[in-house]
Amino acid sequence: MHELGILSSLVHTIEKIVTEEGLTEVEKIVIEVGELSGIVPRYIEQCYPAAVYKTFMEKTALELVTVPGIVKCRDCGLVFNAAANDLRCPDCSGQNLEILEGNDMIVKELVCR
Amino acid sequence: MNGFKVLQVQQSVFADNDRRAEQLRQELKTQGVFLLNLMSSPGAGKTTLLSRTIESLNGKLKIGIMEADIDSDVDARTIEGFGAKVIQLHTGGMCHLDAEMTRQGLEALGTNDVELAILENVGNLVCPAEFDTGAVKKAMILSVPEGDDKPLKYPLIFSVCDVVLINKIDVLPYFDFDMERCAANIRTRNPAAKIIPVCARTGEGIDAWTDWLCNEVTAWQKP
Ligand SMILES: Nc1nc2c(ncn2[C@@H]2O[C@H](COP(=O)(O)OP(=O)(O)OP(=O)(O)O)[C@@H](O)[C@H]2O)c(=O)[nH]1
Ligand SMILES: [Mg+2]
Ligand SMILES: [Zn+2]
Repeated sequence: MHELGILSSLVHTIEKIVTEEGLTEVEKIVIEVGELSGIVPRYIEQCYPAAVYKTFMEKTALELVTVPGIVKCRDCGLVFNAAANDLRCPDCSGQNLEILEGNDMIVKELVCR
Repeated sequence: MNGFKVLQVQQSVFADNDRRAEQLRQELKTQGVFLLNLMSSPGAGKTTLLSRTIESLNGKLKIGIMEADIDSDVDARTIEGFGAKVIQLHTGGMCHLDAEMTRQGLEALGTNDVELAILENVGNLVCPAEFDTGAVKKAMILSVPEGDDKPLKYPLIFSVCDVVLINKIDVLPYFDFDMERCAANIRTRNPAAKIIPVCARTGEGIDAWTDWLCNEVTAWQKP
């Protein structure tokens, strides 16, 4: 599954940060998931226990924050929420959209000891 | 505060993979190995096209193939039958390959005697498109029975590919697939994409494809 692979690589990423910063334990991670990232937050939650199983993050809590997908219509310039408008410009019905925000998945915070 | 520390990280998950992919690409450049990422939906004809490609190149390029599948080694055995160096990668339930898995695959394949490495990605039009594997170029196959509207429904994969092969043109008479409409749909997503109609079954159109491959490999091997 898509989300499991993403989480496994995320564990790697965090492991690197933890080593670099000389930390020992990660209590919680805060992750931002964009609505246009193609990643389903519900799946992330479901896969999380499997992805951290037998890693240094086994006891680390997960907090997910959803970031709205904001796009700009290339035809008329309107900026709007993509999901709420079904990926179509509410003014001119244009579908040629530029993503401004919400197409990424970001490790936002680590709460550590 | 109990020894707690909040670290503001702001690290993108995709950026991490992109960095690894870029690094892999640079190493491949040094080694003179051209890596192609071949994607499509299940059954569009990736394995058949690769068999035909090996046949058609007829030893002109040293080829190594990585067959990525969730399970089974059917495709690897097919390719082996055509005399190319091949390994099977099991993705363990995963729907795509990322740069790290691709690197491991290349190490397992061994690239000392390979000029053209091809990754047959997992059959899927969504997930593989989102991950840079470190490949030099990306190609995808759209087969006629899937319909000419696919570029509209799966815009991302069409927008990231350098080449779109339209396969199974032998069955065009039986489907309402319109080649012109399909090309127009691809161009709205990706004006630069090269579109090559082929029939992997009979070999029709394969020369245009192998010519493209040979040119790209030569260009990549120039210092
Ligand atoms: N008529 C016709 N059939 C084709 C052509 N190319 C492939 N096929 C058939 O399509 C089926 C699937 O082909 P494969 O090459 O296994 O497709 P694939 O994309 O590798 O499939 P997966 O690895 O399962 O995703 C096989 O039965 C092929 O014989 C073609 O050009 N014309
Ligand atoms: Mg196959
Ligand atoms: Zn508009």
